[in-house]
Amino acid sequence: MSGKDFFVSRYEQLGWKYRPVELRQSIRFNRINNVKGQDLVSRLLHLGLNLDKIEFLSDGYWVCDSRVSAGATAEYLLGLYSIQEAAAQIPVSLFSDLEDKSVLDASAAPGGKTVQLANIMNNSGSIVAIDISKQRLAALSNHLERCRVKNTIVYQLDARNSPKLGLRFDRILVDVPCSGNFASDSKWFQNRTLKDIERNARLQREILMKASECLADDGEIVYSTCSLEPEENELNIDWAIRRLGLEIVKIDCVGVSGLTVVFGKELDSSIARCRRFWPGLTQGFFVCKFVRNSHES
Amino acid sequence: MKVEVFENFSLKFGVKLTFGGEMLVQRDGRFFLLNSNVNFLVRDDFFYAGIYLGKVIDGKVFPSFNLLDMLVKCEANRVVIGRKASWLFICGRDVFRKSILRIYGDVCRSEYVLVLNEFGECLGFGKVLVGLSEYSDKNVVAVANVLDVGDFLRRERVV
Repeated sequence: MSGKDFFVSRYEQLGWKYRPVELRQSIRFNRINNVKGQDLVSRLLHLGLNLDKIEFLSDGYWVCDSRVSAGATAEYLLGLYSIQEAAAQIPVSLFSDLEDKSVLDASAAPGGKTVQLANIMNNSGSIVAIDISKQRLAALSNHLERCRVKNTIVYQLDARNSPKLGLRFDRILVDVPCSGNFASDSKWFQNRTLKDIERNARLQREILMKASECLADDGEIVYSTCSLEPEENELNIDWAIRRLGLEIVKIDCVGVSGLTVVFGKELDSSIARCRRFWPGLTQGFFVCKFVRNSHES
Repeated sequence: MKVEVFENFSLKFGVKLTFGGEMLVQRDGRFFLLNSNVNFLVRDDFFYAGIYLGKVIDGKVFPSFNLLDMLVKCEANRVVIGRKASWLFICGRDVFRKSILRIYGDVCRSEYVLVLNEFGECLGFGKVLVGLSEYSDKNVVAVANVLDVGDFLRRERVV
């Protein structure tokens, strides 16, 4: 069970008609490094990088056209901005009151969201960023140094072992490893099978389960994937509601409601509070915000 | 002892950095400065923590850009260079005397100097090759590039 026709037919069953998508590059300004009140938009325009504000993001900009590579300007190397896909900027923005909080970033590499967390936290509080791959941790470390992040501790750790940290966190970002989507990977349809997706979905459940064990009583979890497949999204969320004592919080952001019926299976109605992003304006994405179920706690 | 290595390094820029109440930790020759928010979170097996200061190999300091920023805040010896020279500097090139717009501090030959762009942002540092404050040939290389922010791209190529 694989191939473009197979997946496109699934998307149609879920209510979305496939169309090819060309993604626009986007960047995010790093507030902690833009303290001098400079007009970074004008400064980048002067270099030949023409930006347009992304309406639904506080620090996000579309790169409209560019005479230079956005990843090779002095401003980029000085950490004044990061290159981050627009939808990928959403999960971190959904946490409430990040300043001075303790935060776990499970599956943190290459660090775009870790840097975003540190920015919103204004380098206050603490972030524990974990990832299983040492090579990816080197990229994460470079990213932290480049963007002058000061409140983060990084460990090489499988997110399924996060309880071994022995810590409780006020906020947990569970941006799980996922199957990705065709909009950001031109060979996606050739390379992916339903088996991969089911395997990833199992891994994601394990990560979410272990991460939820580290959540402080009044804490928040944001779960996200860049997958369009319901096994990695709504079906995992339905499982989490039933098994992990979590409840979904309504979030205010772009995208469409999470699916409450998937291939004929009826899911918990609260899953409509999640947001799903079919490719178009951004890549494919899914995001959900949890708190502990007040009845269970 | 290790604090002294960084303090001595800062002396080469004409200032003495001091690390107040913050904790300095080491991992595989890399040094990190931790404030009270994060120091209690650090176990022996950490990979990166707090503010990365740089590497020390056989007593020689390979500073991070965080450390260079700290030196800027301490008003260490520094030069401000023009726009084109800034771009060449982050591409790994040296700085010509004619590209230096302003000089701050007592910048002496053979000492280190921070290299800033016109916005006051630290692009890296270099070694002073000629006396800058006195009259000198404008077409000579005045500061030899030792480290610049283009290093972030070069590191990625290595990975």
